[in-house]
Amino acid sequence: MRPSHGIEIHRRTFLDRGIAGLGLLGLNSLLGAERWRGVVNPPHLKPRAKRVIFLYQAGGPSHLETFDFKPKLAEMHGKPMPESMTKGQQIAQLQGRPLVCFGPQHSFKTYGQSGQQICDLFPHIGGIADELCIVRSMHTEQINHDPAHTLMNTGSIITGRPSMGSWLLYGLGADTEDLPGFVVLTSAGKGGQMQPIAARQWSAGILPSRFQGVKLNSIGDPVLHIQNPPGISKDIQRDSIDAVNRLNRAQHGVLKDPEILTRVAQYEMAFRMQASVPGLVDMSDEPKHVLEAYGAQPGDGSFASNCLLARRLAERGVRFIQLYHRDWDHHGAVKQNVALKAQEVDQPTAALIRDLKQRGMLEDTLVVWGGEFGRTPMSQGGDGRDHHIKGFSFLLAGGGIKGGMSHGATDDLGYAAVEDAVSVNDFHATLLYLLGIDHERLSVKFQGLDVRLTGIAGRVVRDILS
Amino acid sequence: MHWTLLLLTLPALAEVSFNRDIRPIMADTCFRCHGPDKSSRMADLRLDIREEALKPNKAGVAPIVPGEPAKSAIVQRVFASDARIMPPKFAHKDLTGTQKQTIRQWVAEGAKYEEHWSYLPVPPRNPAARNSVDTFIQARLAREKLRPSPEAGLRTLARRASLDLTGLPPSTEQLNAFLNDKTPNAYEKYVEKLLASPAYAEKQTLHWLDAVRYADTAGFHGDNPFPIWPYRDYVLRSFRDNKPFDQFTREQLAGDLLPNATEEQKVASAFNRLSRMSAEGGLQPKEYLAKYAADRVRTVSATWLGSTLGCAECHDHKFDPFASKDFYSMKAFFADILETGLVPDRGAKAWGAQMDLPTADQQRRREQLSWQLSEARREFDAEAQILHGADEQWEKETLKRNEAGEFKWQLQRPLSAESVNGARLRIYNDQPIETNYYVGATLMTDRTPGNGLVVAEGPNPDNETYIVRIQPGAGVWTALGVEVVQDESLPSHRLARGSDRLVVTEVEAELDGRKTAFVMATASLTFPSADLHPSMAIDGNPKTGWGVSDPGNNNSLFLALRFSEPLKTEAGATLTIRLRHDSDDRRATIGRFRLALSSARYSWPDQKLTGLSPAVLAALKVSEEKRTEPQRRALAEYYAFSNSHLQSQAVRIARLEAELGLLEATIPRVVITKSTVPAETRVLPRGNWMDGSGAIVDPAIPGFLGKLSTDRQATRLDLAEWLTSRDNPLTARVFVNRLWRQFFGAGLSKVLDDLGSQGEMPTHPELLDWLAAEFMRNWDVKHVIRTIVTSHTYRQSSDPVPSLVERDPDNRLLARQSRLRVEAETVRDIALAVSGLLKPRFGGPSVRPYQPEGYLGALNFPKREYSASRGDDLYRRGLYTFWQRTFLLPSMQVFDAPSREECTVNRSSSDTPLQALTLLNDPIFVEAARGLAQNMIQSGGATLAQRIGWAFHRAVSRAPSVEERKALTDLYSTNLARYKADEAAARELISAGEAPPLSSASPAELAATTTVARAILNMHETITRN
Repeated sequence: MRPSHGIEIHRRTFLDRGIAGLGLLGLNSLLGAERWRGVVNPPHLKPRAKRVIFLYQAGGPSHLETFDFKPKLAEMHGKPMPESMTKGQQIAQLQGRPLVCFGPQHSFKTYGQSGQQICDLFPHIGGIADELCIVRSMHTEQINHDPAHTLMNTGSIITGRPSMGSWLLYGLGADTEDLPGFVVLTSAGKGGQMQPIAARQWSAGILPSRFQGVKLNSIGDPVLHIQNPPGISKDIQRDSIDAVNRLNRAQHGVLKDPEILTRVAQYEMAFRMQASVPGLVDMSDEPKHVLEAYGAQPGDGSFASNCLLARRLAERGVRFIQLYHRDWDHHGAVKQNVALKAQEVDQPTAALIRDLKQRGMLEDTLVVWGGEFGRTPMSQGGDGRDHHIKGFSFLLAGGGIKGGMSHGATDDLGYAAVEDAVSVNDFHATLLYLLGIDHERLSVKFQGLDVRLTGIAGRVVRDILS
Repeated sequence: MHWTLLLLTLPALAEVSFNRDIRPIMADTCFRCHGPDKSSRMADLRLDIREEALKPNKAGVAPIVPGEPAKSAIVQRVFASDARIMPPKFAHKDLTGTQKQTIRQWVAEGAKYEEHWSYLPVPPRNPAARNSVDTFIQARLAREKLRPSPEAGLRTLARRASLDLTGLPPSTEQLNAFLNDKTPNAYEKYVEKLLASPAYAEKQTLHWLDAVRYADTAGFHGDNPFPIWPYRDYVLRSFRDNKPFDQFTREQLAGDLLPNATEEQKVASAFNRLSRMSAEGGLQPKEYLAKYAADRVRTVSATWLGSTLGCAECHDHKFDPFASKDFYSMKAFFADILETGLVPDRGAKAWGAQMDLPTADQQRRREQLSWQLSEARREFDAEAQILHGADEQWEKETLKRNEAGEFKWQLQRPLSAESVNGARLRIYNDQPIETNYYVGATLMTDRTPGNGLVVAEGPNPDNETYIVRIQPGAGVWTALGVEVVQDESLPSHRLARGSDRLVVTEVEAELDGRKTAFVMATASLTFPSADLHPSMAIDGNPKTGWGVSDPGNNNSLFLALRFSEPLKTEAGATLTIRLRHDSDDRRATIGRFRLALSSARYSWPDQKLTGLSPAVLAALKVSEEKRTEPQRRALAEYYAFSNSHLQSQAVRIARLEAELGLLEATIPRVVITKSTVPAETRVLPRGNWMDGSGAIVDPAIPGFLGKLSTDRQATRLDLAEWLTSRDNPLTARVFVNRLWRQFFGAGLSKVLDDLGSQGEMPTHPELLDWLAAEFMRNWDVKHVIRTIVTSHTYRQSSDPVPSLVERDPDNRLLARQSRLRVEAETVRDIALAVSGLLKPRFGGPSVRPYQPEGYLGALNFPKREYSASRGDDLYRRGLYTFWQRTFLLPSMQVFDAPSREECTVNRSSSDTPLQALTLLNDPIFVEAARGLAQNMIQSGGATLAQRIGWAFHRAVSRAPSVEERKALTDLYSTNLARYKADEAAARELISAGEAPPLSSASPAELAATTTVARAILNMHETITRN
C-alpha cells in the first residue's frame, strides 16, 4: 500500500529507537488515533512561518494592470509585437492571430516608503506596500487553466501528485484537533469569467487521503454533513456516537484490533468538528469595525468574507488555508474587468494582512496572492488579454518575507521574466523553506521515484527572505 | 523497502540473492546515477548490468571484483567514512549497516546478477497439488517457524466470501442455507453460487473500472458528461460470462479492428476513449493530443504490464530497462485512433466517433417515425410552396403589418403570482430590478423596471407550479408567450433554479375559470434538445416538457403557444396561467420569466419580442431572386406557420418530432474507437510536444521484451495479441497479483502497478508464478479466483493473535487472514442491502444519488446543478453512481474511491472523521437507518431484543453480545423518551428519504428504532470484512 510510505518512515524511526511492541499497532493507529504531528519533526530548518494563507486569484490576473507597470508597452500600443520575442512560444486563444501590443489599461503610482509601483486600482494594497514583497518574475509552463492550476498546486501536471497544502499537512501536521488542517474556500466574482476549479486542486494525491484539503462551503453545510440530520438533536447525536463507540470498544475487547480504536477516535473527532465548525463560521462575535475593514457581509460567500474566515481558521491552528477567487479570465474588456476584480479583492486582501499584523500573527503567517499565470501584453479582440506563462506577478507577505521590496522583472513589454526568474518549483521550494522544510527532503516513494512537491527542480529564492 | 524491514526479524540468510536483497538496495540508492538512463549517468559507471559493473575504469579500478570485496570499489565506497562515501551525502540516501554488509557479502559470494524476476518467462505450470496456494504459503510459514491459523468461523467465512466476491453481505437466507448445509463441500458450493451471481460481475467490474479510469465525465475544464456507460455494461457482461481475459484484452484495445467486428466488440473499443478530454477554448491541439496519448500509454502499461513506462516520456527509465523510444513506440500503436486535441463537448460534433445502440424495437420505431416525419415534412413543404407561390399579397401585407407592429408580443403585467409548493414569486412591474446576463462572453448588469418580470425565490422544491394572473384588457389573442430570463444568480444555465436543465412540463391557461386549449408550440434555440420539444409543454403529459439543456449564447428563451381558437377578452377579464414543472428533474424550474400575448396570426418566438424573425424580415426586404437559400427556407417556414390551412400538418410534424426526440433520448450511445491513417509518431525530446526534432518511430513493444513478428506496420490488435501471449511474462503476473490483493488486502508483490525494480520482490514468488501459469492456461478469471478463495490460506481466521501481529504486522506471510475496510461502493451497498433499500438491476445508465446542494458550484461551462435520480435509481449499487471526475460523489470520495482521472489499481484505505460524518449524517445513510428500523419493526420480531438481534444479524452475520445488546437497548430507551417528549423531532427523522414512514408504529418508536439502526450501520464491523 503505497500511501503508507510516510508511515513506514515513522515506524522505522520507532524501530530505530527500539520501542518494543509497536508492531501491535496497525497502520491506521499511527495515522489516526492521535493527532498527526508530521514526518518533518523536528523541522529540517528553523521555521519562519507556521501557516500559509494563499489568496489564489484563479483565471490568471493580468500582471500589467496590477503589479507590473510597463510604460514601454503603452508606447508600443497598437504596434506589432516584436516577432523575436514571440516566435516559437506557446500561445492559447491567439493561435494564428496577429500579435499586437496592448498598453496598460490603468495608471500606476508609487506607494509606501519603499516606493513600490502598484496599479491605481489597488489603493488598499498600496497602503500596505511596505509589508509586501512583489515578485514580478514568476513564470509557469502550462497555458490552459486546468493544467496550470494543477502545476501551481502540485508542482507537476501529472495527476495524482499531492497539492502543496497536503504536503504541508503531511510534513508538519496541524495545530488543531477539531478542524481539518487544510481548508479550501472559493468565491465567485461578479464579472462572470468563472473558470471551473476541480477538487483535484486540493487532493492529497498519492498521500493518504486524510491529508487532502477540505472545502468549506458558503451554501448549505459549511463542511459536508457537519449538521445533524433533521430530527437528531445534539444530545441524540452525542448518545449515538457514544453507543457506536461502546459497540466498537466491545469488539475491541474481543479482538484487540487497534484499527477499531482508530475508528473510535475518528467518531470523537467528528463530534468535536460538529461542535467547533458552527463557531468558526458564525461571525457574530466579530466587531463591526472588523467587518467593515474587510468589507465582509457574513454568509455572502464573498472573497471578503472568506478573507475574514481565513483569519479565523488561522487563529484556530489550521496549517494551510487556500482561498480561490474565480473571475480573472479576462480575454475581453480587461480594463473594466480588472477594475471590477479590484473592487472585490483590494480591500479585503489589505484588511487581512493588517488584521494579522495587528494580532501579532503576520510574523508567522505567510500570505500569498497570485494566480495560475498572467496575461499577454498583446491584445485579444482589441480589449482583452490572452493567457500568458512567460511572466507574471505574485505578492508575498508575512512570516519570513522581506517587506517593501520587489523581486525580479519582466522585459520592457512585460512579456518574459528576464531578471531573477522564479519558477513554480522555486516558489514551492521557498514556501517549504519558510515553514522549516528542506524541499529536497520531503518526499514519498512512488513508482520508484522520490516524489517531491518540487519535482527534480526548485531553488529557494533567498533574496526575498527577511 | 518493506522487505528489508521484514528481513531484520528473520534469521540471516545463507546466500545473498541479487533480486531479493541487492536489487532493492541498488534501485533505491545507486541506479539514479549509475543505471539505465544515460543522460543522468555519472562517472560513466553503470551498475545494473554485470559486465559494465566489472569493467575497470581508466585508472584501472574495477567497481566490482567478484569474490574480492576488498578490491571492489563499490564496497570501499559504501563503507567510506570520508567525502568519498556512496551514496553521497547530498542524496540523503544513507545505507544502513546491514545493507552495507549485504553488499559486501554479495560481492564476496561472486556478485551474481539475476535478471529481474518479473521479466523472466513464467515457468510452466506445475500440476502438483490440488490447491497449491496453501502449499506455497505453508512452505514459507514452515521456514519461518509459523503455523497457519485455523479456519475462520462459518459466519465470518460466509460474510467474508460474500463481500469479497459480490461486494454485498450475505442475506439471512443465503447465510442460513450455508450454515445448514452439512455436506463436506458446503463452502465450495456456497462459493459457486456467489461466483454465478450477477453481483460477482459487479464487484469485479468495479476493480477493472479503476484500472481503465472509467468515468461518466470528461475530466478537464467543464467536465461534461459523455456517452460511455454502455462500455461499463460491456465489462459487466464480460465478467458475468467469464470471458477469457485474452479476448477481453483484444476487444478493448482493438475491438474495432477485429474482422467483422460485432456491436459488442465496437463498444469494447470505447476503452481507447476513456482518457480525460478537454474542450477548453485556446488549448493547443498538439499539446493535448500528446497528453491523451501519454495517458493511454500509462494506462496500458500499468494495467497490463505493471510497468511505469510513463516515466520514459521524457528520458530513458531511471531504473527499468525501458528506453524513451519504448514509450513512443507504445504510443504509436494508438496513432490510428481518430481524435482531435480539442474534443467538443456540445453540438453535433460532441465527443467524436460514437455509435447508437438501439434495441430491435427502438430501431423499428425509429425507422417508422423517421419515415412518417419525412413524409409529413415533404407534404407540408410542397403544399406550403404551392400556397406561398400563389400568395404574393401575403408578403406585402406582412411587411406592412410588421411596420405597424402587429406581430409584436405584448408584455403582460401580472396581478398576482403564487406557487403551489412554496417558492416565493415576486412581481416586478415598475420596480427596478438588477439583472446580470451575458452578451457573448461578457457579463452585463442592468437595473431597470421589471416590466412584468416574475422572480422565484426562497424555498426551492423539486417540483413546482407557478400560477400567474393577468388582465390583458379587451382584445383578441392568438398566442401566449413565456419569456424565460437569464440571471447570473441562477445555478443551472443561469435559467433554472436547479438541475442541469430547464423543463416546463405543462403550460395551461384559464379565462375567467374556463380552460383554454393550445394547439401548437414553438421556440427558437441554438441547440434545441430533441427530448424537450416545445409541443411537450402542451401535450397533457406531466412528465414530458419543453426546456433546454444547452442554451448556447441565448441570454433568454421564448416559448410561443398558439391558442386553439383566438381568445377574446373583455376589459377586466382575468387570464390565469399555470406553468407546471412536474418532471423527474429536480428543481428544473424557471427562475425568472415574463408573460406576453400576441394578436397576430403567427408571432415568431423571439427573445426581442418583435414577433418576426430577423431572417424573415431580411428576406421580405429583398426581391425574390436576390434571396439566399436560408432566407427562402425561413420565409417558407414562416409562411407555413402563419397559414391556418397548414396548421394541422404543422401540428402533426411537431408531434412526430417530439415522439422521435423522446425515443432518441432513450437510445443508448457510446463513444467508440474509429481507426484512420496512423498519424506520424515522433520521440518528443524531454517530452516536449513543441519539439518536432525527434526520430520517427513505428509501433513496437518495449525492446527488451522482444519484437513482434510482423512485416507490416503493427496494430493495436498485434499489441493486444502480444499482451496476452506466452512471450509476455508480465500480463498474467500483473493480473493475478491484483486479484490477490482483493482477497488479502495486499498483492503478493505489494506495488500493484510496478513489478519493475522499484516495485517489490514478491513475498511468494513461486506462488505468483504458479497462479500466473494457471491463469495463462486459458485466461480463466473465475478459475483463479476460485482457486484462491477455496484455499485454506483464504479461509483461515483473521483474529489478530498478538504474537503473529508482532512478528508480521502487515501480514505478508499470511499466517492469518487480513481485516479490511470495504471499498467506498461497498460501504454504500452494505447500508442499502442491510436496510432493504437496495434495488438490484444489472447495468444501465449511471444513476445520481442524493448530493449536497451547491456541490458542483465550482464547475462552469455550463454552470449547473445536480438533479438526483428518482425512485429505484436512488437505491442502486455504488458501481452505478455517476462518476464526475472533478467532483466525485462525496460519499465515494470520502471512502477513498479514486476520481479515475488516471489509472488506479491500488486504492488507499483511510479512516477519517469525514467518514464518520458521512455514515452518521449523509441523507442516504439516514434513510437506510430508517429503512432498517422499519424492517426491524415489521419483520424483526415483537420485542426490542429480538429486533436488535435481527438487525445485528443482517449487518454483521452474527448475534450481538450481551454488552452490545445493552448498548443498543440503552440508546433505544433514552431516545424513546426524548422522541415521546418531542414528537415533531421524531416525525422529522422518520421522514428521511422518499418512501412514506411506516404507519403501524408510533413516530417515537420508529424514530428511536431508527437511532438504533443508525448505530448498527455505523459500527466498525459493519464496514469491515473480517
